[in-house]
Amino acid sequence: MAEYTLLIILFAPFVGALALIFVSNRQVSLVRGVAAGSAFVTLVASVYLFYAYDPVKGGYQFIQRIEWSRQLGISLHLGVDGIGTPLVLASGILLFAGIFVSWHIKDRMKEFYIWILILAAATIGVFMSLDLFFLYFFYEMSVIPMYLLLGMWGSHTKKYLEMTDPEGLKLRDSVGFIFNFGANSKEYAAMKLVLFLSAFAVAALMGILLIYKFSGLNTFDILVLREKAHFSGPLATLIWLLIFFGFASIAPIWPLHSWSPVGHAAAPAATSMLHAGVLMKLGHFSIIRVAFEILPETTRELMPIAAVLCIFSIIYGGLVAYYAKDTKYVIGYSSSSHMGYVFLGMAALDYISLSGAVIYMFAHAMATGMLFAMAGWVYDQTHTRDIPSLGGLSNRMPFISAAFVIGCMASIGMPGTVNFIAEVMIIVGSWNKYPFQVVVAVLGIVLTMAYLFKMMRGLFYGSMAEKYSHSHDAVAVVDRMPLLLMIMVSVSFGIFPGHLYSVVRSGVDPLIARITRVVPVAEQPTHIPLASSPIAPVSASHKAIAKVTPR
Amino acid sequence: MTFSLTLSASDLLLLLPELFLTVWLCVVLAVDFSFKRIVQEQLAYLTILGLMMTLACLAWFDMTGITGTLFAKMFVVDRMAIFFKVMILLATILVILLSIDYVHRFSFFRGEYYFLVAMSALGMMFMASANDLLSLFVTLEFATFGFYVLVSYLRDDMASNEAGLKFFILGVFAAGLLGYGISLVYGETGKLVFSDMTGANPTTGLVIGFLLIFAALGFKIGAVPFHSWIPDTYHGAPTPVTAFLSIAPKVAAFAILLRLFLVALATFKPAWALLIVAASILSMTYGNIVAIAQRNIKRLLAYSGIAQVGNVLIGLAAGTKMGTDSILFYLLTYLFANLGAFAVIMAISNSLGSDEIEDYRGLNRRSPFLAFAMLIFLLSLAGVPPLAGFIGKLYIFVAAIKEGLYTLITVGLVNIVVSMYYYLIVVKKMYINEPLDSSPIKTTGPLRAVIYVGLAGTLVIGIYPQPFLDWAVSATLMFSNLLGPAASIPPPTAPFGG
Repeated sequence: MAEYTLLIILFAPFVGALALIFVSNRQVSLVRGVAAGSAFVTLVASVYLFYAYDPVKGGYQFIQRIEWSRQLGISLHLGVDGIGTPLVLASGILLFAGIFVSWHIKDRMKEFYIWILILAAATIGVFMSLDLFFLYFFYEMSVIPMYLLLGMWGSHTKKYLEMTDPEGLKLRDSVGFIFNFGANSKEYAAMKLVLFLSAFAVAALMGILLIYKFSGLNTFDILVLREKAHFSGPLATLIWLLIFFGFASIAPIWPLHSWSPVGHAAAPAATSMLHAGVLMKLGHFSIIRVAFEILPETTRELMPIAAVLCIFSIIYGGLVAYYAKDTKYVIGYSSSSHMGYVFLGMAALDYISLSGAVIYMFAHAMATGMLFAMAGWVYDQTHTRDIPSLGGLSNRMPFISAAFVIGCMASIGMPGTVNFIAEVMIIVGSWNKYPFQVVVAVLGIVLTMAYLFKMMRGLFYGSMAEKYSHSHDAVAVVDRMPLLLMIMVSVSFGIFPGHLYSVVRSGVDPLIARITRVVPVAEQPTHIPLASSPIAPVSASHKAIAKVTPR
Repeated sequence: MTFSLTLSASDLLLLLPELFLTVWLCVVLAVDFSFKRIVQEQLAYLTILGLMMTLACLAWFDMTGITGTLFAKMFVVDRMAIFFKVMILLATILVILLSIDYVHRFSFFRGEYYFLVAMSALGMMFMASANDLLSLFVTLEFATFGFYVLVSYLRDDMASNEAGLKFFILGVFAAGLLGYGISLVYGETGKLVFSDMTGANPTTGLVIGFLLIFAALGFKIGAVPFHSWIPDTYHGAPTPVTAFLSIAPKVAAFAILLRLFLVALATFKPAWALLIVAASILSMTYGNIVAIAQRNIKRLLAYSGIAQVGNVLIGLAAGTKMGTDSILFYLLTYLFANLGAFAVIMAISNSLGSDEIEDYRGLNRRSPFLAFAMLIFLLSLAGVPPLAGFIGKLYIFVAAIKEGLYTLITVGLVNIVVSMYYYLIVVKKMYINEPLDSSPIKTTGPLRAVIYVGLAGTLVIGIYPQPFLDWAVSATLMFSNLLGPAASIPPPTAPFGG
């Protein structure tokens, strides 16, 4: 049973989606039950996976290999390492929470759950793929559900209050070219998201095809390519750039981010949660899995690109978030900004910083999931996301406002949440290499506080407009449970990060050892013996972060 | 060269599927004439029965490995021919199922309709076996003959007449080019059979001759710049005929293209590869960009078909064993997705009487099944995993990258994104927009059957393609001898460029 864990995690949502096809839309409780049931199976299995993963042994575990196509050298090769495991867990938690957050959807509920299950399963598939083909397969598969989720259940962006008929633009409609449905509509957001991601995905596909051809191994298997394929010169640079920018667009790195906040704002709450929580991490993860694993030397040479771009991500995203007036724009841009920290952690190519980046992905999934869930709740109650027109909601929604404060604290990185650990690790780990970026990152944290506090005050404190006096708090168990779940995860890993840390380190160590092996020792001031022991807390800074004694 | 027309029993066996279908066609026609009160549906099922039996016969050929040549190599039965014949018969069966509800719109000659469809199928089966210049000409014209009538079958409809006329005039023009090209090639080489022509001197006459033949075949597959008949003909023709036209002649013409380019012209590959690359880039780009502006779903699929042919030509430009495998596989995936999409179009057209994309508004609320099926078919055409079209596209790209066709692949990849836009516009109408009229749309049994077959094909090939890949690979074994090591993996140190 245990060896099939990955298959169970991956296929439970698919099976749930398939089963839902045969359920009538009128049987509301059955639809909810099937969706929640399959999500629960995934959640339980991913929790099991997380604790059953052996960080001492390290490497890829729970490997499944099913031959898929001999001619093309493709097999359904699944396996997780220390980097994939926490992300699978995050996906499982967010899927389960997302099912409950969208509990009250009335319009075409069954189809909503079908698409959200497919979306989550596809993202989970990326996190466990050890085959380039399937990595791309699941990656691209996650994009189309986003289109339908945004288009069918989303809401118009920016001037959504005036937007009554986005189709009313007859003149542009007759031209028929370029987005003929009004630049603030959800259709625009959905189409932009799909075209943007697909355009960059095919760039990544080109990179994958070049790897396939020039490795000469006739296989898409990452583990084989990692061992046997060697790329150098301009070819390696080209492949790396294609892979990096192809996948970084979903991350989203500045200047490829513009689809993301629009998409967040248009999406329904559960979709935003999955989008910001796990879909964006597909970018970082795929870069780590493909570029770091297969092109280690080029990664070492070219990763400074990420270090430069992450400055713009952090500052630009933070500033826009500060001036944005739409709750989801604020959270969306804050996600873009926070993904810059992950890029900083990755760019430093250091044991601590990359581990910090991976933990940050996990931590950000929880924090931003909470914020989007609550922004969705407020929108459902007040039908507006316009911060200046809101206020004083804490009287009406004490639970939501309290949870929102915790979500903001987590997002800022307050001690006691797992975000704090991740942020400190990124900052400490990349200080030696990129001190300037670290200063920017710390400024970014100040900026994060500014816009989150501003939004918090705008939503929940001050005076409340009369028309919102009918709004309700989350009282029912199904409404509170997803928020409590995410808070609990965030806080408990913030206080007891031991297992998470050792799992992540077991994935990061061999990777960094591989990438930095060729660096002369003098240039390698990090204090960790290379790969000799997967988890060896040595540095003082490292001990200060968390009491990690894995063995 | 001596022709011996004494047929032995084993020779007749090779012709068995075609002979059987010919006899069956006469039976269908005779039944139609003799029993005045016969219901048209029964005639349709009778035709399908004959086609199924022919299919079974071909399956038997494929399993027992019956192959051979006839009439001094004019007619060849090999596994590739069988593969193409199976595809043609499958398409014909699905098209007849599509037609059952549509035939009532014809004011007369309802019985002959099925006869004409099956006769075209017979012609295309011969095309799949054509192995020399004469049989190329005869079978191509035989297959097209039926279509000239079918396209203008709605005699009272101006659009149908216009479509028929356009198709006829340009078709005859293409036939003229073909005849002229054949005469030039024969004059230069003195050979008719493709396999005898290898190693001929590339004289000017020969080059012009082959260019003319390519132009005529390009007309059949609808590759740019020979595409101009496609949109109007697709638009005006009766929808089942459009569905038939959009897949079967292309499949058959690709059988001939493969034999022509990979057998007769194998030694001139570097020269014709450029020609194919140009045609492919033009077809993909033109088809996809013009499709964006379409308001009618049949025209949209016409232009998307032009683009799809451009994709298939990538496999031909690769010109390897793997390239041919990918062409066969891609055509198979295209068959299911395209005919499935046409089945949905038929269902909507039967109930709303419209093919405008605007009338697809809110289809998801009116008929969730039809909307879902259309979604799957369009996404498969766009090449989205986990559907068959994605595997088809990927296979073609892998075959092409092994030959270093980087420009072509880049154009192909960019075109995937472009095509996604117009397919998603249809999806947007169906799923996102609210319906103007929310009365449910009914579908009939035969149409449902086609949609189910299309869905099954698209999903099964997409999720588990191995048996179909194996089938395509074994169908083109003839080329592995011919192309030898070209299909193998190039060394990793190959210079980067292109």
